Amino acid sequence: MKTILSVENLIKKYKNFKAVDDLSFDVKKGEILGLLGPNGSGKSTTINCILSLLKFESGKITIFGCEMRPDAYDIKKDIGVVFQEVAVFEELNVIDNIDYFCGLYIKDKEYRKKCIDDAIKLVGLEDFKKFYPKQLSGGLLRRLNIACGIAHKPKLVFLDEPTVAVDPQSRNNILDGIKKLRDNGATIIYTTHYMEEVEILCDRVIIIDKGKIIASGTGDELKELSKIEEKVTVEIDSLDEKILEEIKQFKNVDEATYNNGILFITYKKGKNNLSSLIDYLKKVDVHYDKIYSERPTLNDVFLYLTGKELRD
Amino acid sequence: MFLHNLKYSLKTLFKNKMLIFWTYAFPLILGTFFYLAFSNIENSEKLDIIDIAIVDNEEFNNSIALKESFRNLSGENEQEQLFNIKYVDLAEAKTLLENDEIAGYLLVEDSPKVIVKTSGINETILKYVTEEIIQNEDVLTNIIEEKLNSTVIDGSIEEFIQNVREDAISMLDTSSLQIRDITSKKLSYTMIEFYTLIAMTALYGGIIGMTAINQNLANMSNNGKRIAVSPTNRIKIIFSSLLSSFIVQIIGLFILFMYTVFALKVDYGNNFPMIILLSLTGSLAGLSLGLAVGTIFKINENLKTGIIIAFTMLGSFLSGMMGITMKYIIDTNAPIVNKLNPVNMITDGFYSLYYYTTYNRFYFNIISLLIFSLIMIILSVLALRRQKYDSI
Amino acid sequence: MTVFKTFSQVLNKYKATVLMYTVMLVLFGGLNFKTSDNNVNFTASKPDVLIINEDENIGITKDFIDYLSEYTNIKDIENNEDSINDALFYRDVNYIIYIKPNFRESILSNSPNKDEQFKQLISSSDRTIVEIKTTGDYQASIADMLVNKYLHLADIYSNTFEDENEIINHIQKTLSLEVETELTSKVDTNTLSQVTFYYNFLSYSVLAGCVYVICLILSSFKNKEINKRTIISSMNYKSFNLKLLLSNCLFAIVLWLIYIILGFLLVGSIPTNYLIIYIINSFIFTICSVTIAFFISNLINNKNAINGIVNVVALGSSFLCGAFVPMEWLPDFVLKIAHVLPSYWYIKTNELLKGVEVFNSITLKPIITNMLVLIVFIIAFVVLTNIVTKLKLKK
Repeated sequence: MKTILSVENLIKKYKNFKAVDDLSFDVKKGEILGLLGPNGSGKSTTINCILSLLKFESGKITIFGCEMRPDAYDIKKDIGVVFQEVAVFEELNVIDNIDYFCGLYIKDKEYRKKCIDDAIKLVGLEDFKKFYPKQLSGGLLRRLNIACGIAHKPKLVFLDEPTVAVDPQSRNNILDGIKKLRDNGATIIYTTHYMEEVEILCDRVIIIDKGKIIASGTGDELKELSKIEEKVTVEIDSLDEKILEEIKQFKNVDEATYNNGILFITYKKGKNNLSSLIDYLKKVDVHYDKIYSERPTLNDVFLYLTGKELRD
Repeated sequence: MFLHNLKYSLKTLFKNKMLIFWTYAFPLILGTFFYLAFSNIENSEKLDIIDIAIVDNEEFNNSIALKESFRNLSGENEQEQLFNIKYVDLAEAKTLLENDEIAGYLLVEDSPKVIVKTSGINETILKYVTEEIIQNEDVLTNIIEEKLNSTVIDGSIEEFIQNVREDAISMLDTSSLQIRDITSKKLSYTMIEFYTLIAMTALYGGIIGMTAINQNLANMSNNGKRIAVSPTNRIKIIFSSLLSSFIVQIIGLFILFMYTVFALKVDYGNNFPMIILLSLTGSLAGLSLGLAVGTIFKINENLKTGIIIAFTMLGSFLSGMMGITMKYIIDTNAPIVNKLNPVNMITDGFYSLYYYTTYNRFYFNIISLLIFSLIMIILSVLALRRQKYDSI
Repeated sequence: MTVFKTFSQVLNKYKATVLMYTVMLVLFGGLNFKTSDNNVNFTASKPDVLIINEDENIGITKDFIDYLSEYTNIKDIENNEDSINDALFYRDVNYIIYIKPNFRESILSNSPNKDEQFKQLISSSDRTIVEIKTTGDYQASIADMLVNKYLHLADIYSNTFEDENEIINHIQKTLSLEVETELTSKVDTNTLSQVTFYYNFLSYSVLAGCVYVICLILSSFKNKEINKRTIISSMNYKSFNLKLLLSNCLFAIVLWLIYIILGFLLVGSIPTNYLIIYIINSFIFTICSVTIAFFISNLINNKNAINGIVNVVALGSSFLCGAFVPMEWLPDFVLKIAHVLPSYWYIKTNELLKGVEVFNSITLKPIITNMLVLIVFIIAFVVLTNIVTKLKLKK
């Protein structure tokens, strides 16, 4: 598959602080690449460097096979960017905002009009065309922010945490929209610190911490890294220390903890783990309210790799 | 692209309420205040008819010169009526003075005496006029004496004296020595207030330019980031935004001009092309100030607005907005300050158009404004040359 | 106490802005005071005159100049046409006298014994011996009088006497005749009008300062989320408003004290009974400004609008009520409008005070009436504020 974007050995320093530390990765045509990392890990900086907004110490950025420069207009015309901060004019209504930014790319008025309609439909703002940003709720504003960035039907789209502080309904709408973009042939780079989004959305994930790639691969590949296959949670009013010790000795158990009425067990491999636990609890006559099993998430991967939670 | 950006830049600027308040409404409001407060000042400074009293006693009635002269000076049909006189008794004169109904009163006893409350202008005039009457009497006496001594009189002495007296009185009225008033007719110093107002508005235009340019720069605003990643020539966009701010600025200035000329009767002189030239140059100075503040400082927009407002208000203060005397004090004692002050360059430009008949001073101001603008633009270009930023 | 504590915390947050604003107002007040004597001291009876002598400084020309020096303030201005014109425009001089080169000759040529032919020759030529430029105001009128008087005397005496010294002697003798003038007032109007000017300007500084700072601080309190919290708290809105008002007053009183002290430093001492009334009056006005500020801050929701409102309210009040331009110079209709503004009543008291000679029930009555009107304003604004808050609560 064709490489759309390639980043080679990118280094960016703010004074003595290395925000991006020798980063290299490729993005293939038609994929959704997730850039995952906690706040301050260098995701936005990386994107700004790729877009030639920031100076960087060393490295090479190639987009569509050409080197990226501030005046590489041929490249820029096929890029769409949705920044983390909402970037719209307070004084313009929804339609005018999209028209303004779209107009920076598309001169033909008829075509532009169609593009704007498509964008509005994509983010579901049909009922708010004449609204001003101040009148929109946080979620709708985010949608407008996205529409402004992608109305010109770019081939490569950067989305920098487009769902921060967004209500669930808007979030689903946004995620659906992004999928549609991909289906229409766009390549997407998506940064976030929301694990769930990455899991549903991304074909491939790169986990960044302190400006370095600490892991990359598909969601499943990454989950394997964590060496955990199943997580079981049991709500028990009280638990004997001895029983906990015994559970720890079970087959496949990686770790077991009991805190505040919650028994939490992680398994290295996953077959019949849950049923044998239920059997055991019955045998020792421990009553429990709820018991459930989960597949590991990327958060566990992150936790495993860095020893800290992804969300701070 | 140029027109597309121009259209939306105009739209955003016109819809920015704060911006329109400061650059459109505020100067109009301030101008109205100036008009209300100053419209009467220059008339109040003109000599009014002064209310005085004269104690109507025997001594006064015996003094023909005083009686006649004051009657002439208070005649309502007289062209140069100076006094409005009440002839009263002493007690009433005192009461009138106590109640500030008169500036003072004349009491003739052994010699004439002027009684006043304080030592103001009207009081001074009353004193001088009385003195002049007495002095004129003295002149007549002297002349008659001299003529009696030097001339051989044939005929009656009384008749001779009468002739000399009449000659002298007519000479007092019509002097053969001429005074010519060469005052320029345009001496209305309150005009300066309105000139500083125009100057202030021109520089406030910098806020418009700064706001527009901020939207174009990736290191200043999020919208700027979007523009930076789009396939557009930055210089083109910036020029287009500057042009739109200039248009907004000029329209505001035009409205202000119309308002001051037609509603407030401000006199800018008659040299129309020069007024336009000065307004455009002044606006350019404002725009370039806004451009420089917008591009050089990496601080939030409110602070930038603050900087432009503070700079402009200080400039207005020094060029006489809060008291016209200030401009004169600076002009005479620290001329360099006002030669560097763009608000004063504009104010002084209008002043020289209004008051001066030559154009040297006017051109000096125009050139100063151009130099100021050029420096601001060069500074901005230096800041704008960066296309990538160390941080955003 | 909680309210006050929060108040001081918010104030602390804005201290840079507040400080800058106060310093600016104090500076403007002080500077304006220093440069304004020209405008207020219209009691000076000597006009400022500039003499440009193009004749030789001898004989009658010299006497003319000496005479002018005695009765006017002779100004020394750089002798170039632009400086001279500027001086006239900005009223640095009220009157400019150009003594033409033919001044002395023309006067002396009047001599009675000169032959007729010569006289004819002279009279046919330009007899302009003095050119003047005048600002046309009070002071210029005096200068005009003085110049005319001298030239008349010179004309008459030169027609009568031949010898220059004799002419000069006669002129001097005539001019030495003066009228006795008696002053009845013992009040130092000069200082009092300076004090009045200062206190009038204070109305701008105090009003602008109060409205700006209080609106800024209260906008933090009125912030939507915080406001909800105060509404649902157990505190009654009236008592909440009252506590806020008191905190504001405390701030305003500090501001007021600064100006009073500055006033002492600038003007020096004046009789105590005057001073007390100036101080009481400005105090009432300060409190009134607080209530105005409080009222305004209850009306507006937008922090950005504060600056605009401050300028319109404070400048408007000051221009219309005579804080900048003395009341007697304002057009009548402006003063009529000004009646609805508290500043008018405050400034009116200061102006009245300037003219008071003895304090008795008649002179004090209008002053006390004005103060009562201010107090009515205070009550009205407090009531209005509470009404507005109440209406907003229901929304």
